[in-house]
Amino acid sequence: MLVSRLGSRLGRGALAVWLVLPLVPLLLWAAADRWSAPALLPQAWGTTGLAEARAAGAGPAAVRSAVLGTAVALLATPLGALAGRALTSGALRAPGLVFGVLLSPLVLPPFAVALGLDVLLLRLRVPAEVGLVLLLTVAAIPYTTVVMRAAYAAHDRHHDEEARLLGASAWRVVRSVQLPLLAPAIAGAAFLAFLVGWSDYVVTLLVGGGRLVTLPLLVGAAASATGNDAQVAVLALSAVLPPVALLVVIGSIGRRARR
Amino acid sequence: MTAAGRSGAGSRRATLLVLPAVVPVVVVVGAALTSAVLLSLGLTPLVGRPELSLDAWRATELGTSIRLSLAIAAGATAVATVVGLCLALAVTAGARRSRLLATLSSLTIPVPHLVGAAAMGLLLADAGFLPRLLGIAPADWPALVGGRWWIAVGAEYAWKESAFIALVVAGALSSRVASYTETAALLGAGRWARFRHVTLPLAAPALAASAAVSFVYTLGSYEVAALLGRPAPEPLPVLAVRLFTSIDLAARPQAAAVAVTTSALGLVAVLVALRSLRRLAAEQ
Repeated sequence: MLVSRLGSRLGRGALAVWLVLPLVPLLLWAAADRWSAPALLPQAWGTTGLAEARAAGAGPAAVRSAVLGTAVALLATPLGALAGRALTSGALRAPGLVFGVLLSPLVLPPFAVALGLDVLLLRLRVPAEVGLVLLLTVAAIPYTTVVMRAAYAAHDRHHDEEARLLGASAWRVVRSVQLPLLAPAIAGAAFLAFLVGWSDYVVTLLVGGGRLVTLPLLVGAAASATGNDAQVAVLALSAVLPPVALLVVIGSIGRRARR
Repeated sequence: MTAAGRSGAGSRRATLLVLPAVVPVVVVVGAALTSAVLLSLGLTPLVGRPELSLDAWRATELGTSIRLSLAIAAGATAVATVVGLCLALAVTAGARRSRLLATLSSLTIPVPHLVGAAAMGLLLADAGFLPRLLGIAPADWPALVGGRWWIAVGAEYAWKESAFIALVVAGALSSRVASYTETAALLGAGRWARFRHVTLPLAAPALAASAAVSFVYTLGSYEVAALLGRPAPEPLPVLAVRLFTSIDLAARPQAAAVAVTTSALGLVAVLVALRSLRRLAAEQ
């Protein structure tokens, strides 16, 4: 018994180390002015990394990434919600096929779709920004559809029927009954769609042609150079912290809804 | 659902609801694939006369890149599946569920792969954090980043995807596993028997599906291999992007051929996974 408990504790410890260890050097480097090998901890702490990241244009790039993520979330979330509602209504012909089509962007590598479409967008003279939002919205639709389909499947339709019996209009039912009950799922779907736009690298690189500099493009450029580890760490952290903060906010929305 | 609900009006309404999502997906995916196939066959060159040719398919070293991409995806997915299952068990099964591990693995989910790659570089390079932690001099540290065995690339995918697999499997296990294992324990099943005959069958469909998603994702993902890999040989996405962004316009059909190949491999992987999922469902 003691041996098995010790083994389970060791196993849990190893799993915690597996999850956390890659992020430790990121946190240390972000606050290090000088950290030469083989020292285990930085010799000098400071904000050089932050200053370098700002000089590289991290501020405007983060704004661009946030706008891109928001645009993708604003488009992909309602589309996924409508599709999720239709898929669970029981009235759709060939729902399996429709669901398969909506999931197909998951199977195709983003670089392949971007590469194939880039030539076409150039020929049709579609602005790179519009093409990028379109491509990333399509990449996000599988996630929003899966989340909203699950949410509508679990949604109790009796609430809708009762509201209709009490004289509510169809639109009023959506606004006053469905939206509040589905709020956690909508927030979750919007978060995933935001993440697709916020963290995309290869589609922005190919469709934007290097002119549209988002935060991931700065991270990629900094990480492929050498000797600027502090800057890489600050840029990488600034690409992670906003989504983590959003996740915490969405978690609290979910908890409040369940109360 | 009543018979009236399935009538023409209901069906038309459902179709109208689903169209705004279906149309962009079909247009983008269809146009992208068609355009890539045509480009790879020399039918839509940016300059010059269109002419059907298989030159782009012969010119690239597709075989080496296919083998390399499949090996990286298989290795990373195998590690991610084992670790992900252990994580899911630690989070859901047993008397002492680990809240801490659940939080840590859900915090890994929003970390972009690109950031994961940057972090793995800082961890595993020869002057990285791990050799310092282990007290090994940079000269004696094996080349994990940019080395022969693509260790850093595989480690990044395994790290990120293990958290994803854990999330999916834990979701499938959380609702049912406790009551079943308790019943099995009451009936006298030992630890291993409970794992083998109760937990594993319950987890299998979610495990197989999430492993398939990870495999296909890894196969088609660019940034991690581009940052942490070696210059040659190249996995399929790295080869395609290099050819596509090269100054030589003649390389674009070759890039399209690589993109079509990668898409086809992903599709085959999904079809194989769907078949085995169906077989799993039939067995249970």
